[in-house]
Amino acid sequence: MPDRAAAAPGRTFRARRFGRLNLEVRQSIGRFKHAAFIAFGLGVGLAISVAILLAAGVEAANIFDEFVVLTFFDRLGLSSVLIECSPLILVGLSAAVAFRVNFWNIGIEGQFFWGAIGATVIAIFDVGPPSIRIGLMLVFAIVGGFLWIVPPAIFKIRFGVNEVISTLLLNYVAYQFVLNQIYGAWQDPRDRFPHSEAFDAAERLPLLGWEKVHLGLLISLVAVALVWWLMQRSRFGVYMRFVGANPHMALASGIPVAMTIFLAVGLSGALSGAAGFVMGAAQEHRLTGTMAAGYGFSGIMIAFLARNNPAAVLVVAFLIGGLYAAGQSVKVFYSLPQALVSLIQAIVVMCVAASDFLVRYRVHWLRGDGR
Amino acid sequence: MTVALEMSDVTKEFDGVRALDGAWFRAEHGRVHALLGENGAGKSSLMNVVCGLYAPDRGSIAVDGSPVRIDGPAHARALGIGMVHQHFKLVRPFTVAENVAMANRLGGRWTDELALVAETIERYCGELGFDLDPQARIDSISVAERQRVEIVKVLMSGTRILILDEPTAVLTDDEADRLLAVIRGLAERGTAVVLITHKLREVHDFADRVTIMRAGRTVADEDPKALSDERMTELMVGSAPRSAAAARSGGGRVRLAIEELAAARDDGVAALAGVSLAVGEGEIYGVAGVGGNGQTELAEVLMGVRSALGGRVALDGEDRTSAHPGERRRGGLGTVPADRYLYGLTADLSVAENFGLTGLAAGRYGTWWVASGRMRGDTEAAIDAFEIQCHGPASRSRLLSGGNAQKLVLARELSGGGGILVAHSPTRGLDVRACAAVQSQLLEARGRGAAVLLISEDLDEVLDLSDRIGVLNRGRIVGEFERPANRHEVGRLMVGHA
Repeated sequence: MPDRAAAAPGRTFRARRFGRLNLEVRQSIGRFKHAAFIAFGLGVGLAISVAILLAAGVEAANIFDEFVVLTFFDRLGLSSVLIECSPLILVGLSAAVAFRVNFWNIGIEGQFFWGAIGATVIAIFDVGPPSIRIGLMLVFAIVGGFLWIVPPAIFKIRFGVNEVISTLLLNYVAYQFVLNQIYGAWQDPRDRFPHSEAFDAAERLPLLGWEKVHLGLLISLVAVALVWWLMQRSRFGVYMRFVGANPHMALASGIPVAMTIFLAVGLSGALSGAAGFVMGAAQEHRLTGTMAAGYGFSGIMIAFLARNNPAAVLVVAFLIGGLYAAGQSVKVFYSLPQALVSLIQAIVVMCVAASDFLVRYRVHWLRGDGR
Repeated sequence: MTVALEMSDVTKEFDGVRALDGAWFRAEHGRVHALLGENGAGKSSLMNVVCGLYAPDRGSIAVDGSPVRIDGPAHARALGIGMVHQHFKLVRPFTVAENVAMANRLGGRWTDELALVAETIERYCGELGFDLDPQARIDSISVAERQRVEIVKVLMSGTRILILDEPTAVLTDDEADRLLAVIRGLAERGTAVVLITHKLREVHDFADRVTIMRAGRTVADEDPKALSDERMTELMVGSAPRSAAAARSGGGRVRLAIEELAAARDDGVAALAGVSLAVGEGEIYGVAGVGGNGQTELAEVLMGVRSALGGRVALDGEDRTSAHPGERRRGGLGTVPADRYLYGLTADLSVAENFGLTGLAAGRYGTWWVASGRMRGDTEAAIDAFEIQCHGPASRSRLLSGGNAQKLVLARELSGGGGILVAHSPTRGLDVRACAAVQSQLLEARGRGAAVLLISEDLDEVLDLSDRIGVLNRGRIVGEFERPANRHEVGRLMVGHA
């Protein structure tokens, strides 16, 4: 049963009062103002982070050096940011595509694992000639990620099963399967560690010839272009917007709603699978039990901050990649705990997210006489 | 008999539309008062004023003889005024006792309080002849039982003036008779009961007094025994001479045919019980009826968003009973839904996207690269042609006023050129100017040869625009009229007991 009350927009003029604080729902907001509020949120987040770092004993002058100069304006620093952000871009796109049609894909890590599994199967069993093996790995990774999201997609569309639960739980299934393989049949015969054997040279993504930056970055950039075109310029993209914003109206207008959801969600799984491929073939060079850790939530966070806009995903993933890279070096050079690094990342993201409040509401103080 | 409630000269405006225009009302303890009128006559608005939900712009209210200013629902309750709304205000996963306790805090520890409330519920049920289990969850009980919970809830807070808003609309005949007997019993024990209804049978059988409203005014306050059915219908629907009828232009081949269509509401209750009608080229077929007789379900089945349980829908002779909405649109159908922001528009997307969507789905703006420039151009042309006031095609449709939003929907649905249009309450909530604009667009579409099915709860609108009229009552077309239709005959079938 559709929620009629929620669909009526006339009711958003409400003003709420908290003492002298008066909140009013905005009907629209200018682009400049919108950007200014996000910048304000970012500024507050950075200020809090700086305060925390100072309290932890890092010198003020070094903070700027570490987070800006040595991260973005240093050859080694920038290259590690680019390496860091390749899979982040892919998982960010994955989340954005699914969220656009209102499908809460919490199972990015599971699809990531199945992408890595698909690539690993080709690699360790030496399927196909070496010249096309890396391409074959990518294809299998995409298919693996896609197949892992098909059951939740169908259950959601056909039977209304909550995708948050189904995709989330399938993460654990994927993870346990990976553990089963790396402690069992696929365990590295050389060092008996719980990971698969290392990929051969032909099964690794080639470097681009600038520090350690690899072809994964190009794959991510191509994915951004393709997803941008699909979401912002194609007819399917318009369908996605309507299905996400008002599925009732989309259906009544003759849009193939179920097929739109299925294809968008399938693409989301495929992108997560591709991220697993990049991680396996370019960074870990094998299947490991920890390779997907954190990518699910990173993807969700990136898509949220980018408002599901693929071009913005690129920018946000780059900045988050910088935050990660800087966090790693701060951790090493100042022997700060990992928790502090995560804390800073969380605070920055939360402040940017909180700026949404100012985008939605107009806040003003009432004068003494209550007007 | 003492006067329980007296209201005089009550006026209330909403955005320039007068819902109440100097209405008056009187109720006495120990009697059942029927408040009769068409949809939008002001019955519910008047009672919402009594309950403290609306503050009147003008007018006076006296409860038990002393003048009062009702500040809000809590004040109304303190004055002993209680209302059972048409849409129940119950929390579904909670039990009967919990729901009643929430509205009637007896104090003490919550668990003790619950036990006490459960006991009180059982005592009330004994007095009223209800059968209610205080421990049952609201989810698990029937609509009739939920209504009993509402009544007990209201009575427990010391209600001496009980208002029931169309209480029998959701009930079967047997349930309705039982409820009306209970109401009679309450009145005999001294409660003033106000029964909002538009069923003449209930007025005759159960009311001691009837107040009739039309267009925000009180037009009669009589003993129902002194009024014939014909006279009551006339007072309800008025007898103003209608403007000259526009001549029927065509009535050619049948484009939309509905045969024995059956459908159910969301809760499984039958809503359509075999509707049959046919709309020809160049014709407006008006479906008249009191709201809640299957209009919404008829419109939704035709749109393709609710499945039919039986019967047939054909567009130009092709069976489309269970077709996807897209297929129906390719078959020539356009739809103007009653709830504009549910099925008609997406508030967060732009005017151009909302206008262009159906054209896009029909392949008019390309597949791989959307011709957004052409879509914007077409939208601008439609904005001019339909005089839609907005800040251009790129503005969000949320910012449109009701009238402009409806014009946008109409512009889109008529742009397809399919020539079959289903319009459900197309002028609901619009001001006079927007209303006239929408109606003239419907007439123009007919002039161009469109087949229009107009489903409306506004009898004036149906009479003004339609070439033929079918009266929908309890899920059936109970009578058909050719233009010019006799207003009283149509009205009688609308409110009659079919």
